[in-house]
Amino acid sequence: MFALLRDLRHLRRSLALPPPDRGRSLAVRHVDAGSCNGCEHELTLTASPFCDLARFGLGIVASPRHADVLLVSGAVTRRMREPLLTAYAAMPEPRRVAALGDCALGREVLGMPDDLAGPVEDLLPVDLRIPGCPPPPDAIAEALLGLVDGRQGPTLIR
Amino acid sequence: MTIGTTGRTEAIESRGNPGAVARPRVGGSVGTVEIAEVGTMTYRSRLTEALAAGWRYGGTHVAAGGDRVRTLLTAPGGATLLLGVPVEGGKVPTVVDLAPAACWDEREAADLHGIGFIGHAPLRSLVDHGDLGRWTVPVAGTDLCQVAVGPIHAGVIESGHFRFHLVGDRILHLDARLFYKHRGLERAAEGSTLDRGAAYVARACGACAVANGVAYAHACEQVLGLVPTPALSRARTLLLELERLWSHLNDVAAICAGVGLAAGNTRFAGFTERARRVNAELSGHRFLFGTVRVGGNDLVADGGQVRAVRAALDALRVEVTSGWRELMFNASFQDRLPGAGVVATEAARRLGTVGPAARAAGLAEDVRTASPRLHYPGFRPVVPDRATGDVRARLEQRGLELWQTFDLLDGLLDRPVEPATAERGAPPGPIGVGRVESPRGATTCVVESDGARVTRLRLRTGSYANWPSVAAAAPGNLLVDFPLINKSFELCYACADR
Ligand code: SF4
Repeated sequence: MFALLRDLRHLRRSLALPPPDRGRSLAVRHVDAGSCNGCEHELTLTASPFCDLARFGLGIVASPRHADVLLVSGAVTRRMREPLLTAYAAMPEPRRVAALGDCALGREVLGMPDDLAGPVEDLLPVDLRIPGCPPPPDAIAEALLGLVDGRQGPTLIR
Repeated sequence: MTIGTTGRTEAIESRGNPGAVARPRVGGSVGTVEIAEVGTMTYRSRLTEALAAGWRYGGTHVAAGGDRVRTLLTAPGGATLLLGVPVEGGKVPTVVDLAPAACWDEREAADLHGIGFIGHAPLRSLVDHGDLGRWTVPVAGTDLCQVAVGPIHAGVIESGHFRFHLVGDRILHLDARLFYKHRGLERAAEGSTLDRGAAYVARACGACAVANGVAYAHACEQVLGLVPTPALSRARTLLLELERLWSHLNDVAAICAGVGLAAGNTRFAGFTERARRVNAELSGHRFLFGTVRVGGNDLVADGGQVRAVRAALDALRVEVTSGWRELMFNASFQDRLPGAGVVATEAARRLGTVGPAARAAGLAEDVRTASPRLHYPGFRPVVPDRATGDVRARLEQRGLELWQTFDLLDGLLDRPVEPATAERGAPPGPIGVGRVESPRGATTCVVESDGARVTRLRLRTGSYANWPSVAAAAPGNLLVDFPLINKSFELCYACADR
């Protein structure tokens, strides 16, 4: 166990991550509204030692009631429409919506029209767009940090 | 278990007697499919004979036009047989009593195509959600309570709903209601060209993009009478193993997360990130998207690139070995694993469990032993010494397969990768079946075609095959152990829902 922690410290140093310089935090609730699982896998790695989003005060919270931002991935399917709207309704104000990945932005969505409820934008007011298929962890991190800083999120085209 | 390939390997080709049921046609050496149209009366007896001869159930789908239902059987040696039965009065006989693994296939066919299955009762809904009563199994008794979880989960997890029936903290029964992410991809693909159809398959799942893509490409190439050149086989095998590498590293991280071992989770998440960077270096995409197409491959890597990737993987292997050793000697972590979420050998066989979960239960089955369109010379599946079918065995299985994959990659990266094609070499046919060992197990893609366009597509992934096993692994365990059990399978929802 000690070796594991020591290795992690080494890794942290070798990556030379900048020290946290923000005094604020952001609570994020993720909703998969019908993704291919690619966006989730990249979002998961925002917690890896290469990115370590938590050190900036960014955390994934278990309930929308504790969230500042609803981070939505995937083309919204017909069956996820209700759960998505319910999660949004449960959030305290002020609240923000971020669309994660090209599917959530309604780009090149495939499937049967009957099974899809349209891009996130048709259902909720989107404040932050994170394009990419999928957007890599650093792009997700950078975009979300824009919200912590109160900036309008940068558009990251990679 | 410590480190290295300490598991035993087993040959499975000798089991069963495929010839007694059906002999593959000419071209069987590159995996063509035998199509047998049978009557309603003989459908079940043919299936019974085949199963008795050692063939395994491989999926049921509704044929193009909806007038037939086809059931796939696979022999241990790799031969495939499609039994087609006509739909009469909207119905066909069920096979769920003969092959319990057909349960989801038949429920899906009923929901999406309106086919009735005589003898499958109650035929619960699967893709159609409807009322609670239509999809839950009624559980009654004193002190019983239900816990409903999802579709939105607490972590970064795909959407799906679990309904636990509990007494106290102990799980009596689990109903999994998936298909929240059903996008109708298979139906949407109908009518597109064989080339274009690949996009729909790729969209089904980002985590299994290569496995699904190769299964689809193999199916289309069977339809077209194409056989991959050795260079194409090697390139695709390389991509498949790179996908398995990041996926298995991610699974180990997920199991650590399942018990709250942050140090192990973080470390293996770091390895996953590095494996994805290797993918990007080689192919330009972290998930290898866009690298598989029908009839050929455009992946190019010169000697320098290949050497760099090989060196990166060598370095990664050293650190993964050290991280793995830490996990093996971490007593509080190890203590949580044995006896949790058991799917034992007999259950795995009955449920049609595939992939690492099946091998961890002692079924030494792996599509890579019979993949003539890919490059797996002399491949032997590996199983753990103690194939107990619990979380511990499934974790150990990931370790064994990681070393195997590192070895395979090392061999595949001994030369530059050049663009390659598939060439004429087998008789074309109306139906192609591609089978690939995805990180989660056997993935089967059936393509029915008029020769130019997709008339029917069915993708039955390893995740789809294994979800019923997750539900079967839960009873008897404490509710708090379910995340760990679920993570030890680490199935995709997207792959199952399509
Ligand atoms: S944007 Fe790309 S990676 Fe994300 S869900 Fe859509 S297809 Fe998958």
